[in-house]
Amino acid sequence: MTSVARSAPRRLAAFAVPSEPGNERLALARVAEAVAASGLAPARLERLKTAVAEATMNAIEHGNGGRPEIPVDVEVIQEGDDIIVAITDLGGEHEPAGPVEEPDLGLKLDGEQRARGWGLFLIRNMVDGMQVRTDGPRHTIQLTMRAGGVTPVPRDGDLEGGGHEEEL
Amino acid sequence: MKKNCEAAVHSVGGAAVIELTGEVDGGAAGVLNEAYEQAVTSGEPGTVVLDFAQVGYINSTGIALIVSVLARARAERRKVVASGLSEHYREIFDITRLSDFIEVFGDLGAAVSQLAGPAA
Repeated sequence: MTSVARSAPRRLAAFAVPSEPGNERLALARVAEAVAASGLAPARLERLKTAVAEATMNAIEHGNGGRPEIPVDVEVIQEGDDIIVAITDLGGEHEPAGPVEEPDLGLKLDGEQRARGWGLFLIRNMVDGMQVRTDGPRHTIQLTMRAGGVTPVPRDGDLEGGGHEEEL
Repeated sequence: MKKNCEAAVHSVGGAAVIELTGEVDGGAAGVLNEAYEQAVTSGEPGTVVLDFAQVGYINSTGIALIVSVLARARAERRKVVASGLSEHYREIFDITRLSDFIEVFGDLGAAVSQLAGPAA
């Protein structure tokens, strides 16, 4: 009988951004930096960045109401082959990104759906997994992306992810 | 660092070209709408080319702006084509089905030469 060792989750980064429009760019840049050594293929990194930006924008606008004094918390964890990004606002239960209605471009072009409403759709289509949970005011959208290939093993004293990691 | 959207409009053959630079997000609404207005009032083009070669970021609000431009163009019976999209945004055009309505070319040169087409 063989057993497969699963590496312990490692925190690659944890940070907060003020709830101001445009700070989703800051979040995606920090996440990209944190996962740089994770083995994520460039195309999949671009997908993750788009999902992080959309989820953070949603947290800023819909969760925290664009109030800069309320932060959006972002945590990046690597668990085995999975990159997990958790984005938390303090808006309690709300839809992750605008209407639940599935965007239909034909309907939008005919004026039967509003032009906006792509955020959640993009997130779902960019990552391998998406979970939403609410704990009191804390509303978290968790994005999962499989790095694929071999996960780099850090050598002694060799910190990955820009030195922000810590074992959980 | 945020790079605000800017647009340069010019004509090539019977088409109007809108060359975008910077970021296509909610802040690009005024620029994109004004550029489209300028494009269609200077020669009544049958085709509008949106060139994204110098665009580094498009978000969901930017996608909505492109949808609005496309809706208006269709109502005016104009064709919209796109050029210069990165592989990632080309994929997003596919996922959102924008590429069903907007023909996508690798670069502006390819779009323009295709629009010029063979002599009838």
